[in-house]
Amino acid sequence: MSSEIIIQTNDLSVYYGAHRGIKDLNLSVQKGEVFGFLGPNGAGKTTTLRTILDIIHPTQGSATLFGLDSQKDGAAIRERISYLPGELSLYPSMKASYFLDLLVSLQKNKLDDSYLEQLLERIGLDPSRKMKEYSHGNKQKIGVVAAFMGKKELIILDEPTLGLDPLVQQTVLELVQEVKDEGRTVFLSSHNLKEVQAVCDRVGIIQNGELIKTEKVETLINQQFKRLEIHFRKEPPPDAFAIEGVKEISRDGNLILFEVSQDLDRLMEKAAPYGIIDIETKAVSLEEIFLAFYGPHNTGGKNV
Amino acid sequence: MFNLLIHEIRSRWRAILGWGFGLILFGAVYISIFPGLFEQLQSLKDLSVYKLVGMRLGSVEGYMASVVLVYIPILLCIYCIIASTSTLAGEEDNGTLELIVSMPLSRGQILTAKAIALSGVALFIMIIASIGNAFILAAIKIDNPINVTPFGLFTALMSSLPLALVLIMIGFFLGAILPNHRLSATVLTIFFIASFFGENIAGMVKSLEPIRYLSLFNYYNTTETIFTDGAQLSDIVILLGIAAVFFILALICFQRRNITVGAWPWQRGKITD
Repeated sequence: MSSEIIIQTNDLSVYYGAHRGIKDLNLSVQKGEVFGFLGPNGAGKTTTLRTILDIIHPTQGSATLFGLDSQKDGAAIRERISYLPGELSLYPSMKASYFLDLLVSLQKNKLDDSYLEQLLERIGLDPSRKMKEYSHGNKQKIGVVAAFMGKKELIILDEPTLGLDPLVQQTVLELVQEVKDEGRTVFLSSHNLKEVQAVCDRVGIIQNGELIKTEKVETLINQQFKRLEIHFRKEPPPDAFAIEGVKEISRDGNLILFEVSQDLDRLMEKAAPYGIIDIETKAVSLEEIFLAFYGPHNTGGKNV
Repeated sequence: MFNLLIHEIRSRWRAILGWGFGLILFGAVYISIFPGLFEQLQSLKDLSVYKLVGMRLGSVEGYMASVVLVYIPILLCIYCIIASTSTLAGEEDNGTLELIVSMPLSRGQILTAKAIALSGVALFIMIIASIGNAFILAAIKIDNPINVTPFGLFTALMSSLPLALVLIMIGFFLGAILPNHRLSATVLTIFFIASFFGENIAGMVKSLEPIRYLSLFNYYNTTETIFTDGAQLSDIVILLGIAAVFFILALICFQRRNITVGAWPWQRGKITD
């Protein structure tokens, strides 16, 4: 990954009348990284993508891509980008092959035909049919092929695996990984946290239009909270661990699973009198982190 | 931009053939029945209802001008209303515009390509319809000599094209400024109907004479003189000028539009995500 900034937003805000779209969004995406963009429905993910692409104009603030202004240099920027919309709409009576040709014809760069053939084969798509004859999943495959075929420097994907079967989902993740390996950049908005965890280097978490966290996936998982399973010599009473930042998840006799969102000192101090036979750290998934941010008892991920 | 233009025209080849030959058929019916109905229509020529819709039934030339030269262009205009409002507003409604604006084209290029393409489609339709109707006139046997030649009918029909261009550009403008396709099409249809009847009513009521100038049909000659004198250059210039103004307005509004949001300019709708 290079330190060159591909996407930079500065206090980017979009309002629709009184409605908030996104507010003072500051994020940067570096060259060669896969950046995951997470948030619940209505958080502002798609609005952010559309604003970056100048499909929606910012109310205030700005976005630069490759150092160019998203509004003034939109066409030049889009020459270097491919985009898969979250709600992909295709011309019903157009053949997929014609559609792909059309997209290529609207760009200056020549297409690598052998790569397109390879993509179609890997994704498992026959492009000879009309759009209206394809299932939802196959239409999504067309969008995926369109996004990857141009070998663009930046690929913006909004829910790329929506409606795809697990095998094709895996292929899409492999394609993302290949883009990264080639030093190109991917901006990935997704609800599928397993795929984000699998391919993303960093994630940005957006809530109510505001970017509340940007972190490396690994750091986020390790720092946000830990899961510890402690095997005690004698069973502690139920209220033995009423400590701020410590939550008892499950208990099976002398075996207790804790979720800890602060240093372990206080927990160890309280645990010591009951005798500790073994401590095991349990892996936390990005999904659990996400739920900590947005779940019914969310605390913005700060005090889980 | 050129490739988008070609695509836009190619995607409408069925419309070109369908509407072109449909308008020939329409003209064929009205031109061919006239010799047989001429005497019957003489007794109806002073009815107000015919005056309201601008029909003059007293002569072959008047009939040709007020029926064939009015209703064929009206049908073409209906196509232009449907197609122009479907092009920006309709594509935004069905989501395909999002992908097009994410391509490396400026919005000006996108709109220009679509405007030229649709104007070209209207031109092709009208050429087919005009040639077809000219042939039908040549083939019909009319007993009395008339001042309408097949070529005169062809040029007279072609002179309605600026009217269609105005509606195309207004359609683009409405599509760029109004929240959705349905509203754009409704507003343009109402304007078109008001324009048509406004011209005819103003011709019947002296006090309403000034409103004629607000009607697009005031700048399109549907009297017998068009077959001998041709279309007024000033009328064509005015209509093309109106089309150019609305094209520029459409360009400005489309540049500013938040695609996919769909709302009035002062309140661009709800948040989609």
